[in-house]
Amino acid sequence: MRTGRFLLKRLVYIIFVFFIISILMFAIYKAMPGDPVKMMLQGNIKPEVYQLQYDNMKEKLGLDKPVPVQYMKWITNMLRGDFGYSTEYRRPVKDVIGVPMRNTVLLNIFSMILVFAISIPLGITTAVKKNSILDKVVQVVTIVGYSIPSFVIALLAIYVFAIRIPLFPISGVRTAGFTGTGFDAFVDTAKHMALPVLVMSVGGIGSITRYVRASMIEALRMDYIRTARSKGLREKVVIYVHAFRNALIPVVTVTTWWLIGLFGGSVVIETIFVWDGLGKMMISGLNQRDFSVVLAMQMFYVILSLAGNVLMDIAYTLVDPRVKLEN
Amino acid sequence: MKRKLLSVLLASSMLVSLTACGGNNDSAVTNNEDAAPQTQAQTEAPAATDAAEPSTEASDDTQAGERPTTPQGQLIIGAITDLEQDFYDPTFNSNATNYKITENVLHGYTTVITTKEGEWITDPMVVSALDTVENEDGTKTFTITLNDGLLWSDNSAVTAKDYAFAMLLESSPEMMGVDNYSATRYTYLDGYDEFNAGDTEVLKGVHLIDDKTFSVTVKADELPYHYDLAYASVTPRPIAVIAPGCDIEDSEEGATIMGDFTTDVLLKTIGDPDTGYRYNPQVTCGPYKLVSYDASSRQGTFEVNENYVGNYAGIKPMIKTLIIKTVKSETQINELKAGTVDLLFEIGEAEGIEPGLDLVDEGLVQKHTYFRYGYGLIRFDCSQFPTDSQSVRQAVAYCLDRNEFARQYSGGYATVVHGEYGLSQWEYLDSKDWIDENLNTYEKDIEKAKEVLAADGWTLNKDGGEYKDGDGTRYKDVDGELKPLVIEWCNTEGNPVSELLNTMLPEAMQDAGMELKTTTTDFPTLLTAMDHEGETMYNMYNLATGFSLQHSPWYYYSCDDKWMGGGYNSSWIKDKDLEASAVALKTIPFDDNDAWLEAWRTFQKTWNEKLPVVPLYSNEYHDFYTNKVHDWDTSSIWDWSAAVTEAWVEE
Repeated sequence: MRTGRFLLKRLVYIIFVFFIISILMFAIYKAMPGDPVKMMLQGNIKPEVYQLQYDNMKEKLGLDKPVPVQYMKWITNMLRGDFGYSTEYRRPVKDVIGVPMRNTVLLNIFSMILVFAISIPLGITTAVKKNSILDKVVQVVTIVGYSIPSFVIALLAIYVFAIRIPLFPISGVRTAGFTGTGFDAFVDTAKHMALPVLVMSVGGIGSITRYVRASMIEALRMDYIRTARSKGLREKVVIYVHAFRNALIPVVTVTTWWLIGLFGGSVVIETIFVWDGLGKMMISGLNQRDFSVVLAMQMFYVILSLAGNVLMDIAYTLVDPRVKLEN
Repeated sequence: MKRKLLSVLLASSMLVSLTACGGNNDSAVTNNEDAAPQTQAQTEAPAATDAAEPSTEASDDTQAGERPTTPQGQLIIGAITDLEQDFYDPTFNSNATNYKITENVLHGYTTVITTKEGEWITDPMVVSALDTVENEDGTKTFTITLNDGLLWSDNSAVTAKDYAFAMLLESSPEMMGVDNYSATRYTYLDGYDEFNAGDTEVLKGVHLIDDKTFSVTVKADELPYHYDLAYASVTPRPIAVIAPGCDIEDSEEGATIMGDFTTDVLLKTIGDPDTGYRYNPQVTCGPYKLVSYDASSRQGTFEVNENYVGNYAGIKPMIKTLIIKTVKSETQINELKAGTVDLLFEIGEAEGIEPGLDLVDEGLVQKHTYFRYGYGLIRFDCSQFPTDSQSVRQAVAYCLDRNEFARQYSGGYATVVHGEYGLSQWEYLDSKDWIDENLNTYEKDIEKAKEVLAADGWTLNKDGGEYKDGDGTRYKDVDGELKPLVIEWCNTEGNPVSELLNTMLPEAMQDAGMELKTTTTDFPTLLTAMDHEGETMYNMYNLATGFSLQHSPWYYYSCDDKWMGGGYNSSWIKDKDLEASAVALKTIPFDDNDAWLEAWRTFQKTWNEKLPVVPLYSNEYHDFYTNKVHDWDTSSIWDWSAAVTEAWVEE
């Protein structure tokens, strides 16, 4: 009952925040210098024809209306699932956003799996073997991993794994002229995905390993761990059942943000590896003043972030029974 | 190895940079001793005796072999700009790659085209006769008869109906309902305005005479026009595909489309995301036809159109498959070396050129170079104080060592020009000596800058006393008000041209008594300011420009308010002399080269003196391609999309 009330409250809060942010975002983008219709009508068109075209276009896109009217139309359409019209691509936003989103999610899912598959065991191991040589080496490597800018890692990875030792393609999503389907297509895409996934994962592995390590060290100091050990429980049970579960709270926080981040493209990675994702699309949309695309993406992230917070709260209660949602 | 690693890392510094572009010259600062401006003499123009050739370097083992007689092999072309799934025309998508694909690769049989030398001609492979009549009402009619045997890629005949349909379709209000298509290609047609507005269903300027013949009538107020032959340039569209069941009916009033011709129909035949002609055109008549487009990788595959009769020289494509793949400037040379692409084109920066030349030295690839048909520039806003003064503009030019700028910016792969011309133009090639003798090269000379400023009245210091060296910024008494010589400069973020100007200009300008104030913004904001649509006005901008093959300076330097900004008179210059010298060009008949050349020189001299723009650099473009590619011959006006028809590859 309390949980239901809490969730209802959060839902109302989400709706309220969503609308406030939508107004702010819309106002900010409208205030930006640059005219999307002008960007659409590039090329040498004679002035009188240009003006006619400009006025027609502005009217068709509803940009001739006052900003509050434009907002109402935009938000109403958005709530109905109509994200508007891309002035850059001259197509409905929903038609241009699908493929980049699929590419971005694909890249991020594999990256997330890799990050968690490496960082959690590594974090636990280094916490258990604190101050060992392994721990010290991992400490240094992880600091380096998340300190180096991703574009440097990307270029180094390309140089080593695509140029010097040509294991993977330099860029792209698919081999030029590739015609295979099914498993062959998957393998081809996987080969192209390998380097971007690796580069994206380096920073994540560095930071999450350190999160898990710190959290585990804290948990391993607790009295209940001493109690568990004194009860003669196996060390594995002590570590993975007693300590790790209690160390999960910060991990849940990070995991939630990673899940939200699944839909956020990385401009740098996508640009260097010519991976056609949402990050590239966002930058292109901003440069072209394609506000429908940019706003649709921004609002999508707003919803994800707000929903992510609720999910995080629920996840806390699952990993730690002491946490109650009404609190 | 270290050098290559370094080059990869250095390239990273350009990662998020927007590189402006452009330029031309006559004082070469290029690193490439072999490369000189390409020959682009207009065929009917007097032959340029000192015409320079494009430079091609091939390793010895690539010289052998003969052009095959049937199409073979594939060519993977690396393009910096993504290929979008948008294959109708540049109106829907004008990005550089799509532009070239739609104009030269996919669609064809355009009646009037430009040759490799930049000359406007009727395509003899398409047109058997073109008759021109100047009508009493001032209009001009071109009657075009098609050759026999022209076929679409689905083996159906290309007829005059398809040409008439194209003009009607692309001028119609119905078409404007398809994703906001801006129906501006045929605005010069007689009756366009009424037809486009929906006032009439008949387009007066188009007549369908028979299956092989149609006519085009041009509005009186569009004439006379130096490039008037270009008005007869029409690209066909398959009526059977785009408007199934419709027909063209001709009457004395003009041509009209009969049948179910509505926006709803077009939204299906053109706008359907899966089958529409815009996204998946299956009936085309260019040298290649679309095989597939992979949206996730933005790659397009094109195969030879067996029905294509050849380009204007009768040359048919001999590369069976073309694949367009996106590459990044930072890694494109590595892609070439790895064999994931076969060709890179128009590389203009040293970061790309030098590793490419290393591969040429190793014999792994070949190169071809040519100068750009345009330049990077400083554009003044001549409507704003103090750059409304010709002397101030000249003084800024005297503060910059442009040769050094071009050398530093491009790593030695660029040149400098002194007027509004490209090095590929026959006018330039015919006027090299004249240019040397008559145009001011604005060599860096601070004393000269001071001199022109003093002559313009910038002789006071901030207290109103006589200006002396060391007094800082100069002042001028303007209608009783003491005004400082401050130049507001707007540039774009992450732009290496801006960064280099920032190191070379401010100090020199300060020495001359000018203060340079800098604002850095993004490109759309800069455009807004340049068109006087923002809140702030600036005195100068740095950006780049390229010339059209119908370069029309009479619009760009018109004093008429309607031509100000909007991509035309972007310098906002209202100078009667400059306008007159440009307008004098407009009415010269296309074939009167002597008159044109004389007027062109007058225009260049006036421009050079008025200086609405300071040209900064003209890139020396490099194409790099693997040794399997042969007969690769590009220029700034005969780009990769045209060259693929002449080139061939070993299997």
